[in-house]
Amino acid sequence: MTATTRAIHLGRQEKPKRGSLLLLIPGIASVVLLGVLPLFIVARNSFAVADDYGGITDGLTLENYTKLLDPVYSKTLLFSLGLGLLNTVVCLVIGYLTSYYIVSRPTNRQGFLLLLVIIPFWTDFLVRTFAWITILGSGGPIAGILGIFGIAGFSVIPSNLAVILGLLYSFLPTAIFPIYASMRSIDPSLKEAATDLGASWWGVHRRVILPLSSPGILGAALLTFIPTMGVFVIPVLLGGGKDPLVGNLIVTLYTEFRNQPMGAAVSMVLLVLMLASMALVGLALKRSSTKRSSTKKTEA
Amino acid sequence: MDRIVNGIARGVFVFLYIPIVAVIVYSFNAAGTNTRFDGLTLQWYVELFQDASLMQTLRTSALVAVITATVATIIGIMFALGLARYRGRGRGALLALIALPLIVPEIVLGVALLSVFSTTKVPLGILTLVLGHLIVSLPLATLVLMSSAAMLDPSLPEAATDLGCSPWQTFTRVYFPLLRPAVVAAWLLSFTTSFSNIVMSTFLSGVGSTTLPLKIYSSLKTGLTPSINALGALLILLTLVIVLLVGVSQMRRILVESRG
Repeated sequence: MTATTRAIHLGRQEKPKRGSLLLLIPGIASVVLLGVLPLFIVARNSFAVADDYGGITDGLTLENYTKLLDPVYSKTLLFSLGLGLLNTVVCLVIGYLTSYYIVSRPTNRQGFLLLLVIIPFWTDFLVRTFAWITILGSGGPIAGILGIFGIAGFSVIPSNLAVILGLLYSFLPTAIFPIYASMRSIDPSLKEAATDLGASWWGVHRRVILPLSSPGILGAALLTFIPTMGVFVIPVLLGGGKDPLVGNLIVTLYTEFRNQPMGAAVSMVLLVLMLASMALVGLALKRSSTKRSSTKKTEA
Repeated sequence: MDRIVNGIARGVFVFLYIPIVAVIVYSFNAAGTNTRFDGLTLQWYVELFQDASLMQTLRTSALVAVITATVATIIGIMFALGLARYRGRGRGALLALIALPLIVPEIVLGVALLSVFSTTKVPLGILTLVLGHLIVSLPLATLVLMSSAAMLDPSLPEAATDLGCSPWQTFTRVYFPLLRPAVVAAWLLSFTTSFSNIVMSTFLSGVGSTTLPLKIYSSLKTGLTPSINALGALLILLTLVIVLLVGVSQMRRILVESRG
């Protein structure tokens, strides 16, 4: 592109284009009307009083939030928090190792390995879950094998172990993509240099690969932690519904108890947790990037 | 150490495919139970298509998914083209807004829409399902289209305009042919997002508008039948077809590059 044509391009871009702004309206309107405004209504409803018919009466109260401290709710909230954290840590560790494996392969094989992650990722969520009933349920192959060894009538489903396995299976691909994305952009000569300078396997990971892939790891944490707590199918199908997650609580409050204000309060907890973890990740990202730029300066 | 990592990673790939293989294998199992394997049969597939109420939910899901995908793609094309030419202030905010439904927990979006529809007395049905599915498909469709629109040479539409094309002609003759792979990808990804959606549908389906995932979920609560394995195998096949139609390179761009 010559200097003159570039000038023409720049000149054209500076001109305000009303037509292109009009094109944005349907998208903005959809998100505002179907996303943002409804969220404000949930926020409002969380301070409302329920009537006896599943509706809402006027009036403001904090009661829905104080009720969350009731063991009925707090137990589920704490259990979800724990399970969410556990699933996130497991997904991150396994996702990190798998991404490292993929990145270490030749480029043409990386595409195929990614495809192998993409297929289960796009497979219907329910199919991915009930497949584990096929495998682990009573009458399934695992129970059959155990039967040979004389352990008859054993079934992994329903159990919390099955829930953990189902959660890992559902969220592992979600964790792999962002970690792989940031690992891929790491210059492979950095690893070689670190090894040549005598760094051990752990040293290379702790001081080179882990810090440089931290944006992807933090992104993966965000994509795993909050959605895990909102899951409601897995605890029912694989856990027998004995230990509900926040997601089950919300579904029950809205569709069975028809207690909208209480359901709204629980939903707000999920939303606040989401904002808090986003802020935390943002802070961690900022810190890791300033740290990196300051090391760069001292090295220079 | 690297050897141990390789072992673990290979184990992960096996882990990812155990359920998929199990569903496909047991869908052909002549024994009515998963304990034995009594040879191959297509019986469960036949039973599937004879189940009238299941076929009804399949029709509902397909209808909702086609409408959702079409609307999401049209809005997505408009937004992507608008944003590609917009260099003013607030570009980042616009991007954050359109991606918002991807970050907010889907279940919260679902109850939020349910609250709106119950206060405004909109009856739950196909319309509410489409609106709910639209809000979760739109960011995906738009992100796919945006990454393609950003790569378009801005001099091409300008040349078309200079040669006397109307804005509509510029769209049909220049933009659309260039964006076609992304349009197909956006439509297919929105279609699957809607077709397999269970969270939004839990809150937004009404009497007579039960979707296929809701039907599967409710029958799974009473127990797994061989027919459900057959249905699962067909849904896995559908995933494979869609991933291949979208194309591996495009899929990679969406899932990896957009998150880098």
